[in-house]
Amino acid sequence: MSVFRVSALALLFVLVIASRSLAQDRPYFVTYDHYLEEPRNLEIAVATTTGIPRNDERVYTAPWLELEYGVTGWWTAELYLEGVTTHGGGGAFTGWRVENRFRPWRDEHRGNPVLYVEYENLNEASRIQKEIVGSGSLPFEPIGELVEEHAHELEAKLILSSAIGAWNVSENFIVERSLSENEGFEFGYSVGIARHLGRLASATPCRLCPENFVVGIEAYGGLGSSEAFARSEQRHYVAPVVSWRVSDRSTVKASVGFGLTPTSDHALVRIGYAYELPTRRSR
Amino acid sequence: MTARVLTLLVLLLSSALPLAALRPRDPDAGWTAPASAAAKANPLANRLDAAEGGRKIFAERCSTCHGDDAEGTEYAPDLMGAVIRRQSDGTLYWKISSGNTRTGMPTFSYLPPLQRWQLVLFLRAGSQRGGDSNDRSFMARPLP
Repeated sequence: MSVFRVSALALLFVLVIASRSLAQDRPYFVTYDHYLEEPRNLEIAVATTTGIPRNDERVYTAPWLELEYGVTGWWTAELYLEGVTTHGGGGAFTGWRVENRFRPWRDEHRGNPVLYVEYENLNEASRIQKEIVGSGSLPFEPIGELVEEHAHELEAKLILSSAIGAWNVSENFIVERSLSENEGFEFGYSVGIARHLGRLASATPCRLCPENFVVGIEAYGGLGSSEAFARSEQRHYVAPVVSWRVSDRSTVKASVGFGLTPTSDHALVRIGYAYELPTRRSR
Repeated sequence: MTARVLTLLVLLLSSALPLAALRPRDPDAGWTAPASAAAKANPLANRLDAAEGGRKIFAERCSTCHGDDAEGTEYAPDLMGAVIRRQSDGTLYWKISSGNTRTGMPTFSYLPPLQRWQLVLFLRAGSQRGGDSNDRSFMARPLP
């Protein structure tokens, strides 16, 4: 079954069974904050990255399905399945990722570290760009050729995140190592700032109230590698983000990332939907 | 190499299953608010109407763990009795904001500060009305 059908079925599934909420309103697509999944909760998310490249290359859309599970209060695990389709160029399954996030401190502090470890089993057609590392533009050879080139990669992030009044400020430092080829260590970053629009919660249920919206901005990009640090080849984006709690358990979010360098795409348009499935039992 | 990585992944994922089955620990005695945080006063203390918003936040964000009537579940304590009455507003605000990764209490600092104070207002009003009785009907009634 293609990744598109899996994503569509997952979306249908979560739309059918909605009720009460635990969604954390996270607006970012690339930047991680220190809020982990609640223990025994499963979040199912579907999202797409649509890239508008420079130089008349084909527009592409890369969907992904994300399963996020709160193993404990300090450990969250995630599985990603991803694909790609290009305008007139066909589509393909581009691989999977498993990630784990660990929050070492019990309490909230001014800066809250989270350690992130991910294994990626992808091919070169991967386009979701959940993170950007290294340098150089995306490869634009035909999808059929790119899927033949497989890559196994390990990625680590140091996530720092703070709640400052109504604001969240997050910084991620990324290092990635290919297990398939000797490409050295590749580096990247992302930073984000966001806040709820509302201050007080209204007494009555409402979906279009400001309290259900979070707005912010994130910036992300690659910084080169231990083998090459070519500033002119780096990709950088800045992206306004918005999320909306459409039901107590589900959130829709969107962003438009604007490429800042010649090797960046013109724009990355992202849309996502997340639904949280609690697995706790009442007394 | 690939086989070794995949084996490690399978081991990692399978190790998550027994952990997921663990019950939360007993109340964390060391989880106490700093004195400066415990001394904070609720800026909405004179806005009892704001407690209704706190009720809504509780229903949306807290009731899955603490129960629809805040009576507690096997994963989180009762919030309508002495456990609330003996803690200051500042302590409750700090605990809601901070969370506790050891017991699984989520961090709610992503909510705007006034919404966290609304939750404190609601819990305070509810615990004073609920007392130690088994009458939880106040959860469905308007607060003062």
